[in-house]
Amino acid sequence: MTDATSIRPAPRRLRMSALPGSLIVGIVLLAPLVVAAVAGSWLAPYPYDEMNILSRLQPPGPDFWFGTDEFGRDVFSRTLVGTGSSLLMGVAATALSLLAGVPLGLVAGYKGGRVGEAIMRAMDVLMSFPPILLGILVLAVTPPAQWKAIAAIGIVYVPQVVRLTRAITLELMQEEFITAAHLRGESATYILFKEILPNIWPPLAVEASLRVVFAILLGASLSFIGMGAQPPSSDWGLMISEARPFVEQAPWIALCPGFALAIAVIGINLLGDGLRALLDPRNMGAH
Amino acid sequence: MMTAPQAQPVLQPAAAPAVTPAPAPLLDIRGLTISYGNARGTLRAASDVSFAIRPGEVMGLVGESGSGKSTVAMAILDLLGGGGRVDSGEILFDGVDLRRLPAAERRALRGDRIAAVFQDPFTSLNPALTVGRQIAEPLIQHKGLSPRQAAVRVEELLAEVGIREPRRVAASYPHELSGGMQQRALIATALGCEPKLLILDEPTTALDVTVEARIIDLLAKLCDSHRLSALFVSHNLGIVNRICETVTVLYGGVVVETGRTGRVLSRPAHPYAKGLVAALPRITAERRHRLPSIPGTVAKLSGAVTACVFAPRCPFAEETCRSQPQPMRMDEAGDGVRCWKADALAGMPWPDEDAGAARPSRPQPQQSAPLVEVDHLRKVYGANRSVLPWLRRAGTVAVDDVSFTVGRGEVVGVVGESGSGKSTIGRALLALTEPSAGTVLFDGADLTERVRRGDQDLRRRAQLVFQNSAASLNPRKTIGAAMDRPLVLAGHGDAEERGKTIAGLLTRVGLPAAYADRYPHELSGGERQRVNIARALATNPDFVVCDEAVSALDVSVQANILNLLAELRDEMGLSYLFITHDIAVVSHIADRVLVVYGGTICEEGPIASVLRPPYHPYTEALLSAVPRLAEDGQEVPRILLEDAAAAPGGRGCAFAARCPRKLGAVCDEQAPPVHATADGHRIACHIPLATLAERASVFPELMGDDARH
Amino acid sequence: MFAYFLTRLASLALILVVMSVLIFLVTQAMPGDVASMIAGQFASKEVVDAIAVKLGLDQPLIVQYGRWAAGILQGDLGRSLVLEQPIGPILMEALARSLVLAVVALVVVAVVGIALGVLAAVRRGKLTDQMVSGISYLGIAVPDFFWAIVLVLIFGSYLKLLPTGGYTPISEGFLPWAAHLVLPVVTLVLMLLARIARLTRSSMIDVLQTNYVKFARAKGMPESVVILRHALKNALLPTITVLAIDFGLILGGVVVIETIFSYPGMGRLLLFAIQRHDLPLIQATILIVSAAYCLANLTADLLYAFVNPKIRHGMRAS
Repeated sequence: MTDATSIRPAPRRLRMSALPGSLIVGIVLLAPLVVAAVAGSWLAPYPYDEMNILSRLQPPGPDFWFGTDEFGRDVFSRTLVGTGSSLLMGVAATALSLLAGVPLGLVAGYKGGRVGEAIMRAMDVLMSFPPILLGILVLAVTPPAQWKAIAAIGIVYVPQVVRLTRAITLELMQEEFITAAHLRGESATYILFKEILPNIWPPLAVEASLRVVFAILLGASLSFIGMGAQPPSSDWGLMISEARPFVEQAPWIALCPGFALAIAVIGINLLGDGLRALLDPRNMGAH
Repeated sequence: MMTAPQAQPVLQPAAAPAVTPAPAPLLDIRGLTISYGNARGTLRAASDVSFAIRPGEVMGLVGESGSGKSTVAMAILDLLGGGGRVDSGEILFDGVDLRRLPAAERRALRGDRIAAVFQDPFTSLNPALTVGRQIAEPLIQHKGLSPRQAAVRVEELLAEVGIREPRRVAASYPHELSGGMQQRALIATALGCEPKLLILDEPTTALDVTVEARIIDLLAKLCDSHRLSALFVSHNLGIVNRICETVTVLYGGVVVETGRTGRVLSRPAHPYAKGLVAALPRITAERRHRLPSIPGTVAKLSGAVTACVFAPRCPFAEETCRSQPQPMRMDEAGDGVRCWKADALAGMPWPDEDAGAARPSRPQPQQSAPLVEVDHLRKVYGANRSVLPWLRRAGTVAVDDVSFTVGRGEVVGVVGESGSGKSTIGRALLALTEPSAGTVLFDGADLTERVRRGDQDLRRRAQLVFQNSAASLNPRKTIGAAMDRPLVLAGHGDAEERGKTIAGLLTRVGLPAAYADRYPHELSGGERQRVNIARALATNPDFVVCDEAVSALDVSVQANILNLLAELRDEMGLSYLFITHDIAVVSHIADRVLVVYGGTICEEGPIASVLRPPYHPYTEALLSAVPRLAEDGQEVPRILLEDAAAAPGGRGCAFAARCPRKLGAVCDEQAPPVHATADGHRIACHIPLATLAERASVFPELMGDDARH
Repeated sequence: MFAYFLTRLASLALILVVMSVLIFLVTQAMPGDVASMIAGQFASKEVVDAIAVKLGLDQPLIVQYGRWAAGILQGDLGRSLVLEQPIGPILMEALARSLVLAVVALVVVAVVGIALGVLAAVRRGKLTDQMVSGISYLGIAVPDFFWAIVLVLIFGSYLKLLPTGGYTPISEGFLPWAAHLVLPVVTLVLMLLARIARLTRSSMIDVLQTNYVKFARAKGMPESVVILRHALKNALLPTITVLAIDFGLILGGVVVIETIFSYPGMGRLLLFAIQRHDLPLIQATILIVSAAYCLANLTADLLYAFVNPKIRHGMRAS
């Protein structure tokens, strides 16, 4: 006798209509940015560093869609070319913090004991610094460079990633399907990578999308105070910083990279929200 | 088997209602239809539900999960939430349709005229406020008492619900109280404004049996002394039998039967009610009895009722049942049934699938070496030897000096309440937790030691079936993938061969082989539990620990799984350690039983011996607390235990603090001696065996079984 | 509770020591000779060596650290190389100004953020909820410095309502002092509002679905009591923790904000020190800001324990 009468097999394919709306909007917003990051210098109407004294501080018009800056450089072209640098800050720093943080968190959660304790105390020390000050400290005593800013931001976010990974690991360790894996004699590696990791990465993906946003903003801030990307780069943070003295007479110089930043941040946020909805295990299989 | 005379409910109304004209009902539900809507569609939770509760009457609203019983209760309180909506119908309270009242007036009735007690006392109390303040709130809100006046009344109320130190308890936070005390505090809150109607939504389901017995006793007394009407929502027929005068049975959101409790439970008219009563595990010394079960699962309704809701699972169903909705047929006495065949089926029992055909009786466990030997097992949690003195902790003793064996092909039941250490014993046997002291030998080898050295082969011979069928399956793996791994690890042939084995295992536990492609969330609870069993069998084990394996399931499904486990044991010669809080379930499957309390074994022996005197005082209280149907025998006086619980691990008897037969200081200071009899019945108690044997049996009807053995 | 306090205090002391070692090591042991950096790239070797001796850079690191740490314990934060003054008084003055900015911003974020979060949770899925979420998105969509520029443009340059920068001591009147705070505070608040509002909203939604809220409703409590007394107190627990983290973000954020608004606080001092390679000033500033952050975290933990009876009373028993 089975107690199965009510459940009919359902199609297992993902349908477009099943995708969360925020995910679609997020992708639509981000797609042009990704294109710009990859192919910005080919698409730009002018070279990003071409100066033209004759057309300094031009307002937006048919020649220069978003105007020109104090050296007569085309703001639109610069913003387009700067996409790569600005997104790289966020993505690379987040990747760094995940690469360092996820294994540490997994070990701290799975092994526990002295090893786990040592990892967590080290993270406590890192977390005791106000988020960016440790980075500023490193950047302050050596000549600034973008890769250093990326490393600094990456390190700042390691403790958060470790904590989250460990918390989820600990929670999962209590789950009965992990107990079942122990019972059938699985190795620690299998349990970590095949049972725990697949359940960790959905919340991590959501977390990562948030981290990318913070990292992009932080990177822009560092570039803004002169500790990130260096001139003549057209990193958005740096562009806004350079536009500041002219903001009253030529606000468009700051506006264009500002809007680009806003689109990136909103797009990634929506992507994160969409991922959260999509990766819910209840949405797997039949819909 | 259903020939018991009609029993009297425990609570009799003061006046005989059959003679005097029936008074106007206090609560009259008419044609209530409720649905839940979300993005994926609507779900009909209750369809045309009607019933009435007279003043001073306690009505049971029973059904399994998904029957809509809680939904109806919440609709009365206007607390549906979560997209729930009353589509039509009337809720007449004292002649006024609550649905027509403005929200503010309905709110003013809540907690004042209509009070409620919910299932889980711990989550029903706000962790951030003192208990006293939470009890005082409705008094201040509805009765206009000042906080000072309310505080006085709170202490009176707490005293009335049997709390000894009302002042201290009122000043406590919820987490400082035991589950029983918390539930008493909730009851005190509900009584505060002298309501006319109590809505009790599974008020004892989260509690231990001995605590439940006391709470039910208290509720019965209070309803009687305050002339309260109550709607008692429950899945537990035994408790409904104990406290309710009338009962309404819901199935799939439809009332299928209503009437006097004694009549409905002893002579159910609707096939579903018949099945429900038949599938209920009862305490029995006849271990080989196969439980009748209801096949299938509850179908979810999305629209109007077009046929008998129970027809897909009904063994008596005909074409008419599947094509027409059934009307409710009421008689003058107020009994009603929603089945056109009810008269024809009167007196016909629920079919026993292989009635009479006794299962192949395997030879009794051989006297060869036992499969599992547990010797002086002890487990302490949370001990901390920190350098910082204020962080040092002695830890909590979960299991204290436990020794027993499990023979080959034997089923050993472990019965205990929460905190008894029964789950820890199970985990230690599977080397999932390292014992603090003592040894666990599996087939002569130290399992913990072997596992620590990395030997997984021995471990695969001992498996576990979990309580929570959902949590024990990885949500991201198909059923097939989950079952494939044990086979891969055991080096079990190629993918095709493993696929065949998986199909075979699924068929063996009664599931279609095609289920291998499904994800866990696509299965019902009972189906998932079958998958869990199939997975445990994949490593071809000798020994399976069933940790509350059927506790989370509805009665009808529970019977199914219990039968399956018994079959597998007979066919494959498995040994089980069957851990449960439900002694009735154990009596259906176990050869021997251990009764555990506070981490120690207080009684052990063959099931038939444990159910008969002499009893350990705890076993006696536990057995007397089990709620039963009237037809199963005379109600015995229940032995009510104090709520207090001493931390286990002390020097004396673990049960001493709550023992109603405590001798004196000796119980606190010395470990009790073990009295053993010839048939392997052992009792650990300071009271001499002869004195223990003088007590009357809790189950006089079982004494007759001796003749059959 | 007392034991808990002791444990937290002990770990705070430990963390401060580790922190000072880290700060010292990073500043002293970084690649690149500090002495030549201070002297400038055209200085002769003798000048560089003289500076090294003057700073004690020729001695082993452990000795250097010992001297530095001992000085700090006696309240001596060293002398600024560029300003040629004791660091202590300058730093404390700047810290006080920055703390005013940070605390006012934190209070505004807490009050407005929690209120918006509660509002969104109670009106879940309705227009109010979507508006709150829209405002939140707007706040985090662009970096704080961009908001600062926009605010300066609108309120300073076009409307001429508020001063666009600088600082007036409170001794010269409350209004001018407060006016100088408005734009920096609004900028900081915009940066952090979204997180607090969203967090409060989600924990409030969780709490509103608990049994005890349902039971409070079953007792006939008015919705305002249910939300404010029963739900909010429990929903605030995660918010308190995040507010402490946010205090750190504010302390970091002031570096940028103070630069834009020419606000003479800690952040501007730090940036000044960095630009001039004033090593003792960099060390002291970062150490003091970090210590302030640790104290904020400790306060949050104690507040958490105080609000949460499970910790408050659980500790009493042991």
